[in-house]
Amino acid sequence: MSKLTQRKSLDYVKKDYVRTRTMPGNWYLASYQYKFNITHNNEFLKKLKDKKIVGNQCSGCNRVFFPPRLVCGKCLVKPDQWVDLRETGRVATFAIVYLKDPETGEVQEKPTVLIHQDGADTAIIAQLNPEVDFKDTYIGMPVKIHWAEDRTGGLMDIEYYDVLEDDAEDMNPKK
Amino acid sequence: MGRQVAIVSAGFSEHASKRSDVNMAELVSEAVSDCLKNAPGVDFNDIDAYVNGNMPAFEGVNLPELWMTDWMGARNKPLLRVTTGGTTGGTVAISGYYTVAAGLPKIDTVLAVAFEQQSQGDTSVGLGSVAYGEISVLNTMGIPYDQLSRLLSAGAAIGVAAYQATNYMSKTHITEEDLARVVVQNRHNAAKTWWSHLKMPDITVEEVLDTPYISYPLRYGMVCPASDGACAMLFTIEEKAKDMCDIPVYVNGVASVANESAVLGYDGSGTGQIDPSEQLGAMKSSELAYYQAGISFPRKEIDYAEVYSPFPNQELMWVEKLGLFEETTAPKMYETGVTSLKGELPINCSGGVNSTNAIGASAMERPAEAALQIMGKADNQVPKTVHTSIGHGWGGSLNLCTLMVMSDEPQRKWRR
Repeated sequence: MSKLTQRKSLDYVKKDYVRTRTMPGNWYLASYQYKFNITHNNEFLKKLKDKKIVGNQCSGCNRVFFPPRLVCGKCLVKPDQWVDLRETGRVATFAIVYLKDPETGEVQEKPTVLIHQDGADTAIIAQLNPEVDFKDTYIGMPVKIHWAEDRTGGLMDIEYYDVLEDDAEDMNPKK
Repeated sequence: MGRQVAIVSAGFSEHASKRSDVNMAELVSEAVSDCLKNAPGVDFNDIDAYVNGNMPAFEGVNLPELWMTDWMGARNKPLLRVTTGGTTGGTVAISGYYTVAAGLPKIDTVLAVAFEQQSQGDTSVGLGSVAYGEISVLNTMGIPYDQLSRLLSAGAAIGVAAYQATNYMSKTHITEEDLARVVVQNRHNAAKTWWSHLKMPDITVEEVLDTPYISYPLRYGMVCPASDGACAMLFTIEEKAKDMCDIPVYVNGVASVANESAVLGYDGSGTGQIDPSEQLGAMKSSELAYYQAGISFPRKEIDYAEVYSPFPNQELMWVEKLGLFEETTAPKMYETGVTSLKGELPINCSGGVNSTNAIGASAMERPAEAALQIMGKADNQVPKTVHTSIGHGWGGSLNLCTLMVMSDEPQRKWRR
């Protein structure tokens, strides 16, 4: 369907209401200080600098958390083992966002994905390689980490995920 | 055990994108007077207590329940405010049920009111205040906030719904046409209901598919509007209910179950749940509420369902998760007309949240409409006799499910 035919809006049965006085108002909100315990993250963030990714494992249920968590959601204990993870993963779910450039008015299509890292049990929000055609995205698509040039020890060190090209049968689940 | 609770009446205000003629308190008063009109025997003096709620931070008014005390007739009476985000309406209705069921002396009749006037405030600020606590954890790991909000599809609920939709679509192998069919059914039903917002009596599947994407796979024509509106429900005990109306509707089971949100990355993945369309909270709440109501075969025993579906893929998902249809068969039911007004199991005959979404009120409009269908007073009345119906709500931090099971006969199994 071409974009020329696309309707901007749909008509619906509207009723006009009497306009009464409208008083504009503002809330000037204070800035807040949210507190987080990040002691469990330090080791993980240090290793990101060296292009290594780790997750922490709960010894109660053997679940691996990437990024690491302070408390296992099921056993309610502290995950105490560190596990090395591979750089590859699968697309757990995805959505395509349409962003309008405020200056040019051009609409960009960008897939944002949740990646299920191989060896981990949780998913992390991430971006795909901007060169990937969004129509090719599907659930279960194999991907690989693309590291940023200058790493500072944060999740942004993973610049984006590259699509892994592999023709093996088991790497190609049905679209 | 608690007392048997009955719904005597339910009322709505008119819904529109901009109710410029009324303010918040007048909007509530409209719904309350419609509720009392449906139950002619009831006066303000008969109401013993009030439960009230709306989504916080959407209208820029804190403590609105104190502003509208007089408009509800609540002066010098016990008043409670409950708010749980998108399920506020569902929780307010359940709180009304609890207040009556508790058996406090001199508190027999309770009026529950939920409302929202979204045109008055900034919805995205309200949503941001809800989501920030959850996503700011990722800030501590080095992701800047502007990047985060883009990753979360501009932070709104549609981003999460899009994730649910892609997973549901790949699981069931449906196309966008199936989603559009759900929308068309809802819009046609909404056109026959007096209080609903998006009334489109002539819309077709092609017209819905001709609108641009907001977030793949959800198009502009498929998403819910932002409405102004209010809803009121009157709860009372079994003995008084028979004097107040012809067909009292008995509340036989309620449940409000929270699950992990499972999609916002860090904070929602504590149990390793990575499929956003799994929704264990809905399954658990239905299990609990059906058990209280003594329903063993929901597919056969439930005659009418109102589910909370701002987006069409959610409607398909919820009817499966609430046990009304087998997994992955819901799209076929919409295609063959099982869920239409004259079908075997009509769903969302008021147009659903897809056609009217006043956030704080919409989860209460579901049980209210389901109760009116049993009474036979609904605007878009199902032709067959409805004995048992359910009203469902979804929201919170994307993880809370509320469910109310109603019937025209009281459930005696667990009560003396």
